[in-house]
Amino acid sequence: MGDLAGLIAKRLGLGLVTLLVVSVLIFFAVELLPGDIAQAVLGQGATEETVAAMREQLGLDRPAPVRYFEWLAGAVTGDFGTSLVSGERVSSAIGTRFINTLFLAAYAAVIAVPISILLGIVVALLRNSLFDRVANVMTLTSISSPEFFLGYILILYLAVKTGMFPALANLRADMTFVELLHRTFLPALTLVLVVTAHMMRMTRAAIINLLASPYIEMARLKGTPPWKVIVRHALPNAWAPIINVVALNLAYLITGVVLVEVVFVYPGIGQLLVDAVAKRDFPIVQACCLIFAATFILLNLTADVGAILTNPRLRHPK
Amino acid sequence: MSNFVIGYYAALIAASCLAAYYQNRKVFMLLFSLTLVSFVLGIIGGVPALRGVTIFAGLLALAAGTSYAFREFLIQISKPGIAKELRTAPLTASFGMFVIFTYAIAGIFAPWIAPYGESEVIAQTFAPPDENLLLGADQLGRDIFSRIIYGARNSVGLALVATLLAFIMGALGGLLAAVKGGWFDQLMGRVADVIMSVPSLIFALLMLSIFGTSLIVIVIVVAVIYSPRVFRLTRAVAGNIVVMDYIEAAKLRGEGDWYLIRKEILPNSTAPLVAEFGLEFCFVFLLIAGLSFLGLGIQPPTADWGSMVRENATLISFGDITPLIPAAAIALLTVAVNFVVDWMLFRSSGLKEQ
Amino acid sequence: MTKKNQLLLNRIAEEASRGGISRRDFIHYSVAAGVTATTASGLWTTSARAQPKSGGTFRWGIHDGNTSDTHDPGTYLTRVMIFLAHTHRSYLTQINGDGSLGPDLATSWTASEDASEWTFELTQNASFHSGKKVTADDVIASLNHHRGDDTTSAAKALLTDVTDITKDGDYVVKVKLGRGNADFPWLMTDYHLAICPANDDGSIDWKSGDGCGPYKIDSGEFGVQFSLSRHDGWHGEGAYFDKVEMITLNDPNARQTALVTGDVDSVSQVDLKTVALLQRDPNINVMNIPSAGAITMPMHCDTAPFDNVDVRNALKLAINRDEIIEKILFGAATKGNDFHHSPAQPYWPEGIPQRDYDPDQAKSLLKKAGAEGLTVNLSTADSVSAGAVDMAVLYAEHAKAAGITINVVREPNDGYYSDVWLVKPWTLVSWGARPTPDVMYTLAYKNDAAWNESRWQNERFNELLLQAKSELNDSVRAEMYREMAMLARDDGGTVIPFFNNFVYGARSNVGTPENLAASWESDGARAASRWWFTD
Repeated sequence: MGDLAGLIAKRLGLGLVTLLVVSVLIFFAVELLPGDIAQAVLGQGATEETVAAMREQLGLDRPAPVRYFEWLAGAVTGDFGTSLVSGERVSSAIGTRFINTLFLAAYAAVIAVPISILLGIVVALLRNSLFDRVANVMTLTSISSPEFFLGYILILYLAVKTGMFPALANLRADMTFVELLHRTFLPALTLVLVVTAHMMRMTRAAIINLLASPYIEMARLKGTPPWKVIVRHALPNAWAPIINVVALNLAYLITGVVLVEVVFVYPGIGQLLVDAVAKRDFPIVQACCLIFAATFILLNLTADVGAILTNPRLRHPK
Repeated sequence: MSNFVIGYYAALIAASCLAAYYQNRKVFMLLFSLTLVSFVLGIIGGVPALRGVTIFAGLLALAAGTSYAFREFLIQISKPGIAKELRTAPLTASFGMFVIFTYAIAGIFAPWIAPYGESEVIAQTFAPPDENLLLGADQLGRDIFSRIIYGARNSVGLALVATLLAFIMGALGGLLAAVKGGWFDQLMGRVADVIMSVPSLIFALLMLSIFGTSLIVIVIVVAVIYSPRVFRLTRAVAGNIVVMDYIEAAKLRGEGDWYLIRKEILPNSTAPLVAEFGLEFCFVFLLIAGLSFLGLGIQPPTADWGSMVRENATLISFGDITPLIPAAAIALLTVAVNFVVDWMLFRSSGLKEQ
Repeated sequence: MTKKNQLLLNRIAEEASRGGISRRDFIHYSVAAGVTATTASGLWTTSARAQPKSGGTFRWGIHDGNTSDTHDPGTYLTRVMIFLAHTHRSYLTQINGDGSLGPDLATSWTASEDASEWTFELTQNASFHSGKKVTADDVIASLNHHRGDDTTSAAKALLTDVTDITKDGDYVVKVKLGRGNADFPWLMTDYHLAICPANDDGSIDWKSGDGCGPYKIDSGEFGVQFSLSRHDGWHGEGAYFDKVEMITLNDPNARQTALVTGDVDSVSQVDLKTVALLQRDPNINVMNIPSAGAITMPMHCDTAPFDNVDVRNALKLAINRDEIIEKILFGAATKGNDFHHSPAQPYWPEGIPQRDYDPDQAKSLLKKAGAEGLTVNLSTADSVSAGAVDMAVLYAEHAKAAGITINVVREPNDGYYSDVWLVKPWTLVSWGARPTPDVMYTLAYKNDAAWNESRWQNERFNELLLQAKSELNDSVRAEMYREMAMLARDDGGTVIPFFNNFVYGARSNVGTPENLAASWESDGARAASRWWFTD
């Protein structure tokens, strides 16, 4: 197990380096955007004097590297600064929205992960049957429709026509948990449709891939029933790629849901990030991107560790 | 009971009996269970439900027939070696090939096939379909059919070029990293990590805002976003091959890196790469559609399926199918691509079905 | 009166009290039912005017909100903030439903002879949500927020003529101007000029979100939602709802479905494509209000080929305004006539001949100018307005008939107003509604204006502009605006295809006044305090 701890430490270290590079990249990308915060905030009404006055107030007249290192010095001590536009602390501006995003991601994941793995196993068992084909076409259709469009269709049938679920997922502080689940069902369902197909197909592929192995052939020749071959023999060795694709999709649920937020008016972090980019509000953009990057790195690490733990051969290297 | 219903059940039962007579168990089970389901459906949904089933079955049969004919056609025109391979293709795969073929024709010969110009205003706003306008007109009075045809060229072309570029960059990087190893491998790995850890939509948003939304920029940005995924896969696949004995032998013979990649590694890693290509292609397509939803996609008046969905998306709430047509075009193509990919994957996995 | 007519009359009166019938229709039907017009008018007053009921929570879906919005009146930019400002803050004056100027915090206003000094008398009943009385100090501090060298307010240009603001007791404010301006009280309706509580040092406290408007903010998050409840100490009429929820709905489909499913009671903008379909829904009223907002296409009059007036007029003749209004705006616009003065503004000159699509005449003008086969670039961007690029593409199709080639250049959305507008020789611009023609002309047509977008220099026009500005006699002033309109139309460098309408919707149980203000969507952004529930 010592190796594993060493591996985790090494990966965390590399992750920090990645975060640093990301922060430099994002900073200069925001610098390179045409126009600046003063023009963006004042809009059509900006005159040269007011723009200059605002730049001076925000300290934007100083050179870019100076501002980056100031930010970095703060970030290292856990202080991500204040929003340039509203003057609010970055942590409080992001806090509740990040929790909302996590909630929606968890909601979708709780539905999508078991369904897709189960379905994946079933279609691997019934491969090339009618059921396999139908499941294949359905899931492919659902991932190949743009997600905003899936959202619109769900709204049409489940909100406008039948009125079973609300079309808007705007949250209120005094909602009960059940109300919350009801209100956010449509965005969660949209996300489920988006990620299920990918996970299901990878589960199916990972299992079918193993079916040609000699040891499976052996089990089959011994007369083990097909479902037992898959669950007992193929699945344990297929966990690594499955965990990998699950991690990738979980990361997507957290970082890639801007469009779903827009369609369902859900107050998550993606909309905040897009707005902050439009306003050139660098501290917010930076903090959001780092949260996303950290999520991605941690989930990847978890997947790798999970793969090692579930694979006997990797757990006991030769 | 109408003539339609009588004919419907008569046909189903007759077909079931025929299947039973020829002892085709699968077909019999399918037809007979359909008959039983139809009883229930007919009671609940009435004649319209049965009509729906008929239309659906008809479409399915049409698709199957087309696929079969198309496969035979391909077998006839190709060389014996390829023809033998093609015979193993399931109907779904040949259906996929047929759709891809149709789209390619539509894209390449768009100006000759489309009855009107891409941005030509020829009718009233939202004019209904008639013999001149196969699918009606859009919000400016342009022919939707013509725009779908041109869209095949623009959207598919763009996604294809972007995916290809992503593959060239990613696969080349992955292969080199696997062969060279050491610091180069590490460096490439970190670069891929950095790009992947920034959400793709945000990355695209930043880059397109900085460099403008010309076609070249879109292609490059999308390729850069997706190349790390290809890189990782290639690196993993090639990493498994590099440790094989025959590679060792080639190295001892004194072969260069380029020879190793070209002659030894690439031929042994095409299958997973091709499978990835199918999925990546869909993702690229969807990313471009998502970008046009945020107003950063292909420039109007160029026809592009993603923008066509977005422009008329609000109409869907009123049951107007205008935005469904380009969406269906996207979905059909991705399904088709994946059918073909499934077949290739199946063949290359070496799995013999019992 | 027969019994049948009596029944009809009762029905009409009931309809009027629900707010489902306009005054004109009411009188029309009543007269048809056998009542004299005068009686009908009186009936209207008793059945409809006395009607607004109190109560309920008004859920209001508003387009265009941003998570980086703030309460600083100097940087108000999005619709959500403008609407919120009209709901939780107050202004000195307001634009009434019929387009006239009415009192808000100021109960009356008078000018000196040359209109260079204005005196505003404040109401003594107004208080902030914190309980503090609204006094002259607050007004002065709020106006000064937009003045001075270090202000970051976008409204600075509006108040450049102000030289001094003083008080005369706690409830009188005097404003001195560098030159006379008869429209100054109209300027006070500008959305930036909200009155906020003053700090002791003469600055204002905008951060707390305190205001003296009809509703106070209970909780809120920028770009998401604001919950407000009625401010009992409000000085004005109306504010029938108990609570107001303002929800940011940027996605057009989200707005539409929310209105259809009843998740909101009103939305501030409806997708024009779906208006016809939405109107079929009996639970929804679509309001379509002509506004003073416009699309302009200014050509730089000092740059070839636009320095030739015949070329300019040829381009004005080469656009088919009717088709653009029909296809881009689905009819929701008033045809423009190349002078920036809308029928929704005061002093609108009637009877000026409409300029129409005439490619042949355009051709002959070009021939006269020696510019046949003209090729020009028109810059635009998606963000300018919905359908801006489509509009330019259509215009290019129209101009082909006059032998003109228009290359539509789609510029990036980001930085359009800093890098393209006023820089490229021919651009497409969207202008919000301005309250009076003087404000509009001074901003964008005066020879030395920073935003003289067409770089148009016309001596007579500028002379008239200055005269009209300080002219307190309405009919003399109207005559001056007519002459200016003719000059802009026939000599100016701006193509104005249309003045757009505000198209917004409400559930049918929402009662509205007979006239809806044309200054912003949702009844001049004041739906929260002017509307009510009928059930």
